[in-house]
Amino acid sequence: MSVSQATIPRAKMIAERQKRSVAWRIIHLLGSLQLALILLATIAVACAMATFAESSFNTKVAQAYIYKAPWFFVWLGVLCVNLFAVTLTRWPWQKKHVGFVVTHYGIITLLLGAMVGLQFGFEGHVTLNKKNPPVRQVTANRSIIQVESPADGALYVMPFDASIARPTEKHPRILPVPGTSFRIIVDAFSDNLVKEQKLASSQTGGPGVHLRLKSERMNQRIDMPLAMNGKTPHEEDFFGLASIILQPSLPQAAQSAAASETQMVFARFAPVVQSESEISGIRVLLSEDGSQVTLSGPDSASVTYRRSEILKSPLTYGPAVVMVEDYWPDFEMREGRPSTKSQVPNNPAILVRIQMPGKTAKSKPRLTLAPDGAGITYQLERNGAVYASGHAKVGDKFSLGWADWEAEIAECLPQALVISTTKPGPPSEKGEQGIPGFRARLESPGNPPSEPSWVESGNISSLTNGQNTVRMGYGLELRSVPFLLRLLNFEVPRYEGTETPSNFIATVEFEDLKTGAKKVRTAKMNHPASFPGTFAANITGINYKFSQAEWNPRDLGETTLQVLYDPGWLLKWIGSLGICLGIAMMFYLKPKSQ
Amino acid sequence: MIFKKDRFDGRESLPVLGRIGWKPMPRAAFRAIATFALILLAGASSLHALDFTRLEDIPIQENGRKKPFLVFADETLLALSGKTSLKADAATLHSVEVITSLWLTPTGWEKHPLILVNNKELKNKIGLDAAPKYFSYDDLAANESLQKMLQEVAAARARNRKAKLNPLQKAASDVGMRLALFEGLVTGRIVTLLPTGAAAWSSLGADDPALLTLQKGLIRRDQAVFDAGLEALRQEQGKEDPHFQADPQKIAVETFYQRLHPFRWAWILYLAAGVCLLTMAGRLAWWGYRAAWMFVLGGFALQVLGFVCRVFVSGRAPVTNMYESIVWVAFGTILFALIFEAIHRCRYFLLGAIPVAIVSLILADTQPMILDRSIHPLVPVLADNFWLTTHVLTITLSYAAFALTLGVAHIALGKVIIGSKPSPALYNYLYRALQVGVLLLAIGIILGGVWANYSWGRFWDWDPKETWALIALLGYLVVLHGRIAGKWGGFGMAVGAVLAFQSVVMAWYGVNFVLGVGLHSYGFGSGGFPVALGFVLVELGFVALAVVRKRRKPALAAV
Repeated sequence: MSVSQATIPRAKMIAERQKRSVAWRIIHLLGSLQLALILLATIAVACAMATFAESSFNTKVAQAYIYKAPWFFVWLGVLCVNLFAVTLTRWPWQKKHVGFVVTHYGIITLLLGAMVGLQFGFEGHVTLNKKNPPVRQVTANRSIIQVESPADGALYVMPFDASIARPTEKHPRILPVPGTSFRIIVDAFSDNLVKEQKLASSQTGGPGVHLRLKSERMNQRIDMPLAMNGKTPHEEDFFGLASIILQPSLPQAAQSAAASETQMVFARFAPVVQSESEISGIRVLLSEDGSQVTLSGPDSASVTYRRSEILKSPLTYGPAVVMVEDYWPDFEMREGRPSTKSQVPNNPAILVRIQMPGKTAKSKPRLTLAPDGAGITYQLERNGAVYASGHAKVGDKFSLGWADWEAEIAECLPQALVISTTKPGPPSEKGEQGIPGFRARLESPGNPPSEPSWVESGNISSLTNGQNTVRMGYGLELRSVPFLLRLLNFEVPRYEGTETPSNFIATVEFEDLKTGAKKVRTAKMNHPASFPGTFAANITGINYKFSQAEWNPRDLGETTLQVLYDPGWLLKWIGSLGICLGIAMMFYLKPKSQ
Repeated sequence: MIFKKDRFDGRESLPVLGRIGWKPMPRAAFRAIATFALILLAGASSLHALDFTRLEDIPIQENGRKKPFLVFADETLLALSGKTSLKADAATLHSVEVITSLWLTPTGWEKHPLILVNNKELKNKIGLDAAPKYFSYDDLAANESLQKMLQEVAAARARNRKAKLNPLQKAASDVGMRLALFEGLVTGRIVTLLPTGAAAWSSLGADDPALLTLQKGLIRRDQAVFDAGLEALRQEQGKEDPHFQADPQKIAVETFYQRLHPFRWAWILYLAAGVCLLTMAGRLAWWGYRAAWMFVLGGFALQVLGFVCRVFVSGRAPVTNMYESIVWVAFGTILFALIFEAIHRCRYFLLGAIPVAIVSLILADTQPMILDRSIHPLVPVLADNFWLTTHVLTITLSYAAFALTLGVAHIALGKVIIGSKPSPALYNYLYRALQVGVLLLAIGIILGGVWANYSWGRFWDWDPKETWALIALLGYLVVLHGRIAGKWGGFGMAVGAVLAFQSVVMAWYGVNFVLGVGLHSYGFGSGGFPVALGFVLVELGFVALAVVRKRRKPALAAV
């Protein structure tokens, strides 16, 4: 605000008070236009650099060095101080200062709102499927490491984003395991971990085949080792479009088996459900100590059994037949197979098979292989009908009839195991997302360091050192929300005559865990669903908002919603309004001065 | 795996992308389709014997909406050849003639060079002559290295739907799409003229009487037969339930709009206004000013008419791609200039705005390959009229106000360069225009945040587009605050207005066409980079010259 003739006494008073008081001098210094110019210019330049960094590297780099770097927050803090101090320098305010004060306080309020949102809110996403039971956890956009302390069995969590400052052998990250003197050393990181599966000769294994699948058109090659565990078939999924099974003998043609579902149920983790058709909806729960199994279903009352009494014996539950096929007290994946580390129920798990008569299995194309002397016999089915079969020796090739895919028998072993090792793959192409992970080893006093192993995101790994074992997980943090979420319906309307989506409409049911009240809401593009979604919640931002984020063209029963909880919402709104009104007042509502 | 909005652009399922993995159709196949076209196309130029006007407003469904045949023909020929008319045998054929002939009498066209291949590197790689820009379908379909590249592109896309193609692959893929489009036309597959009682229209069957009559009319150049075919076609279209038919009003308005070219006439009128302002001096000045007002009002009215047509046809605000936003900014610049001129009657606003409007409109008119003028259905993320209208219109109007300040600042700096002293009033005009821009930009950015907060959750995410809008705002705030602090006066403000406008160019053009990352991906495009860079360099040179001149004559230029 330039000083005009009429305000000279006021200007004098302001100059006087600076002479008299140190506090006022500091206020004028902090609120100086020089500082404002420096701040505006540096923020503008920094942002410009960040956008170029984002374009040539990626979003994370721009965020780590600029947008979300500590210095940038400090700078914004200084900006707030400057904005506040400059309003004080005009004290006592006159009518003409209203716009000026409102604008500057508006910016402060907006920035405060942003801080509140960052500190107390969270952003994440959740993938819902019509077929799946309700969920009460969402995935936050924050990667963490989870460590189970052997001292108290409790889980410890720390934010861990290795993709920016990558741990290397020279600069490892050292993570002390809480409650113990153990340390986890992280000394390498990869964006793209791949699982390499190999067929290895083994006395304990069953017959094995190494299948090599090739497509010229897709320019792809996939190695698929298969090995039976005794007589148990080995089934592999092929891009979710077909399945490949190795089993003792070929099935009868056109056999329409009852649909079955398998559930790997853990006492402490979410179950892994695999189904050939619709999900049965039956929930199986295993007690903490692994001694009791509870079945609950959509239309039957829940029943609890002693695990030891029902193991390997079929139970009728509603229309389904349920069988607990196996039990592991201290579950661990060893060489790609479930096994138990000890007889102590540290991590109890059961394998449950649910048969559903009346529902027939959906028939994906299927390649069935059976060992046959020096080679294999194979059979290709689609919709229950066999369209090709034959015999193949090592080195033979046959067409699969799935696009231009072709299979080659690379190796046949009478007794084999599939051994899987995780290791870094080639750097993924720009824009493609691999599975990230890091290399870690456990150090404990008095023991030599353990063999390093690769910890994959989204998986639980055990690090062992002598007698000591620490289980750790790495991946995006899961957060519980105080309600259950279920996808009732998902629609993708299209523009006329094309496959181009014109909208995405998810109908979601929310069930409040405290009151049990259910609410059905729709999330459309530009129209999020919110819970609780009351007027007060909408105003204050103490509200969970679900907006469309991703869809799966292959499964239209599935949608990914972005979740946002932002208690800073109200401050942002007020600040925004203040800025707009303030600028307008400054420019166009100046009281006429002489 | 953080899921980003831009995946929702939905473009991956446009038919265009689906067609990349096309296989060259055996030439015999479409010859067979065309065999009933008994007589060979005698010579393209004789097409002129027929009048196609009555075909122009027949509705066709394409790309997710129903449009007049004229628009379909313009857009399709543009996609094939990069222009809306074609030279053949020393005659110029208009899009409707070319497309109709391709559709009804395809034989012979496969040898006609009409498919655009303009990437030199690509031509070199696939062994085509570097000089010509157009090649025949036969030449390209038989080109094995091109086919191999197209297969690679298809494989890359099959592995990752969002695979980023390198420029060469992109060019090959563009040619591939043109080939597919050609095939769609000659087989009649994409000429979907018949309502079917479902969402998607279908093309005419090979034995459809209307089609046969049209063919007969075209081959014999018999206007009466051709018109009878059109009549039969209209009747066939009319059989279906009206619910599935095109809205006749929309078709009529769009045909009118397509024939009129209102935005072309607008720049011509603005040019006339500029000439009047500049040439009619002295005693004629008063008349020149009046005439300029009239011409500008005329151009402005045409722009309004153009927008009304586009809004009526598309049902949304006319700012959804680069073409529309450029035309809209030209409109906004003139709008603000007219308002200020009505208040101040000083000429400077008109003088500042007219060049900006003319340059923008000429760019929009002459660069259809870079600035796509067709009306597409909106990606879902934009499909909200309230937010689209408020946020995007405000932001683009702020760009318009800044474009006006750019024009006015050029007048001031130009005066400094030629050694005369800009008046304080001129600087005051500049300040007035800056105020409008700053207010609108601040409101626009905040509305964007509120829209984002409402529809996706987060208010601000440092997305490049929003960040550059913020940078532009900060730049203009530096200009204004520096003036308050006494760091610079009117001259500094003029320099600042030109420099800060470069950040607007970055926010407006650069983010979409240069950076190419972020959530505002629905506006991404390519091309025009040398022009944009040239503009920025020329502007910087201009400012530098003004500063040098001002330093040499401080007494003269001091305010």
